Amino acid sequence: MGLSDVSNAARTGLNAAKANISTTGHNIANANTEGFSRQRIHQEAIAPRKTTIKGDYIGRGVNFQPPERINDEYIEKQVRGGARDLAHFEEKGLSLQHVEDIFNEMNGDGLNRLMSRLFNEFRKLSNDPNSQAVRESVREASKSVVNDFKRVHKELEESAHHIDSRITSHIKEVNELASQIAELNSRIRVNEISKNVTADLNDQRDVALKKLMQLTDITTTLDENDTVNVAIRGAGPLVTGVTAEKLHVDRTKENSEGKIENALDIYADYKPAPLTNKMTGGKIGALLQVRDETISGAMKRLDELAFNLTRSINQIHRQGFTRNGAQGVNFFKDLPDAHRASEFLEISDQVLNSSDNIAAAAQANSPGDNRISIAISGLQGLRLMDEGKTTFDDFYNGIVSDVGVLKSSNNASLNQQRNINTQLTKMRDQVSGVSMDEETANLLQFQHAYDASAKVIQVAEKMLDSILEIMK
Amino acid sequence: MRVTENTNFNIVRDSINRTKGKMEDLQMQAATQKKLNAPGDDPAGAARVLEVRTDKMNNDQFQVNGRMAETFLNHSDHVLSELSEIILRAKEIAISQSSAASATSESRLGVAEEVSQLYQQAIGLANKKIGDRFIFGGFKIDQAPVDSDGRYQGDDGQAMVEISRDVFVGMNVPGIEVFNTNPQGSEDGRQLYGVSEGNRALTSDGLEIPQNFSDNSNVFDEIQALRISLLTSDIEGTRNTLDRLDRLYNHVVSTRSKIGSRVNGIQNTFQALERHNLTNSQMSSNIEDADMVQVMSDLNKEETVFRNALSSSRRLIQPTLMDFLK
Repeated sequence: MGLSDVSNAARTGLNAAKANISTTGHNIANANTEGFSRQRIHQEAIAPRKTTIKGDYIGRGVNFQPPERINDEYIEKQVRGGARDLAHFEEKGLSLQHVEDIFNEMNGDGLNRLMSRLFNEFRKLSNDPNSQAVRESVREASKSVVNDFKRVHKELEESAHHIDSRITSHIKEVNELASQIAELNSRIRVNEISKNVTADLNDQRDVALKKLMQLTDITTTLDENDTVNVAIRGAGPLVTGVTAEKLHVDRTKENSEGKIENALDIYADYKPAPLTNKMTGGKIGALLQVRDETISGAMKRLDELAFNLTRSINQIHRQGFTRNGAQGVNFFKDLPDAHRASEFLEISDQVLNSSDNIAAAAQANSPGDNRISIAISGLQGLRLMDEGKTTFDDFYNGIVSDVGVLKSSNNASLNQQRNINTQLTKMRDQVSGVSMDEETANLLQFQHAYDASAKVIQVAEKMLDSILEIMK
Repeated sequence: MRVTENTNFNIVRDSINRTKGKMEDLQMQAATQKKLNAPGDDPAGAARVLEVRTDKMNNDQFQVNGRMAETFLNHSDHVLSELSEIILRAKEIAISQSSAASATSESRLGVAEEVSQLYQQAIGLANKKIGDRFIFGGFKIDQAPVDSDGRYQGDDGQAMVEISRDVFVGMNVPGIEVFNTNPQGSEDGRQLYGVSEGNRALTSDGLEIPQNFSDNSNVFDEIQALRISLLTSDIEGTRNTLDRLDRLYNHVVSTRSKIGSRVNGIQNTFQALERHNLTNSQMSSNIEDADMVQVMSDLNKEETVFRNALSSSRRLIQPTLMDFLK
């Protein structure tokens, strides 16, 4: 064993200390990097070898591995799941807020009040069937009802369009993230083959996976080459090895499984059938749920209400006689069916032309006859919706209350998920987070180790000098 | 257990956000004085509130209807009381002129003039209006119910008015039913009801009239008959009108009492609606309105929590190891 061995051992100590210090520096610099996992150097002593003929085994210093990240894959998965659910509830909450606002007449006006007004105007007409002023008031009230049906329909459509544009931008993001993950897969594979450090690349890939999970529910599988394969749960593959599939959106006219007409469908480039119904989690899933269940359902029910209201009032009105003695006049324009009824709802031309064409009487030349207007106002209490189970008012109130239920239960889920996520983040932080105090302490520790190793080299040098002195 | 700076900062951020969220909600309640500002705040409550609003609108309209019907019926009642006075006067004249003792042909001629006046007044009463609406013409409210010969030109329409959910009251009395003791059997009635001799007649309530159905007295015809009897000094004729005038008087009185009971019904219903409205508004207030005392005290509490969160975060965030290594 020679002095060089001493220097060598000390030199490995210096290197190890340096590596530790720069890793500590790396940790501190990245303390606030999203998804960063703290890194540690794993040291192990270099095996001793026989030094002298006598056979002393002296250690030869320290070896260290490339920094590895302290990371628990199981916790990462849970954090991703929590992020997905939180994103889902948040996105749903935003969209439901839009829909709730459309139906909110707690502090204002809406179809509930306007429909009541319509029926009560007919009651006023029953009191004074011959008065032109009252007739015009009935027509005004009907116009308000028609306008509000249209307003709600239009606002629901706009809400659906807004959702569509959000879906489009989310799908773009999905494509970007997918190609990012594929690229990272490739770089990690290359780096591993050449035994380079991949810790930071792994972190970046985890971040991309988490963002992707927030958009839609994905399944990930890690294979033995440290490559992550991503698939959209229930829909199809997204990233296989180093290839990323592409998704696109398209507008189809047909009403596939409850979707609103002319709304967007999501497609994968590699197959013709749409993926829309299969993407259920994350932000995209939330948007699709609100669009294809909540909004679509509300529009259908609104249309049913408009259609039944029109048909019932017309049926009675046609049996009545106008002020001029004509019979068979429609009050609203006749609608063929409930499809888009709330959009096409209109007062009939005859009534728009003259309020005299409103039929209050059950026989001709009967100016004080109010039997038809009484029958029309009586429709308010009849159960003409839901196949004879619900009144018009209750049916509409049901739509409003159902939207309210969705919103309030989503709020509850959102708050609960926030709490869960806080816990999950804490758990992950506990394992992978950077603690400044800990890193500072490590810094000191490794600095001392460095100093000590440097001292050893100094001593070894002095020892060499001593020997060389002897030679003089 | 490792605790990192991120955890600390997250805790601070979290509690601040949470408290602020609650305070914002409470401030909204304080501003609108309502705890129900959107259907999502209380979905079942929201539906109930909407129901109650519809109920109130309907009830208000029912009350308006009731008041209008009441006005109409009261007015009809006044007119009929004047009519009954006329019939009474006619009766007095008939009595005094049918006894040979107090009457002479001269006196009869003089009184006939007064009877003529009574006739005109009766026609006038029959053609009374409220606004521009004739009250005794049934559905034919735009033309005089009775012409100058006392012939009825209206119909038998009953304008029903809803004074409470599914409760209707007739707000008028068709002249044909008041001016004739037996409407179906009257001359005017034959045209109106399309009933011919030999048919069983029904009253407007749907009950069968069993007796000799052409036995009718018409108030205008009777007064005319009295006048003619006086002019022609027909004592026998004058005496005959007494019986029929009597029946007419009773008929008007009974019509007035029918009107009276309708008005009673309207008033009772009105009271019931008032009580109903009160109950409804209490229920809706319970659901909708915020208890301001509760809101204010909650706001104070949250403010305290907020302050505490902020001050404790100071302790959590500040010292690091760096401060102590110099």
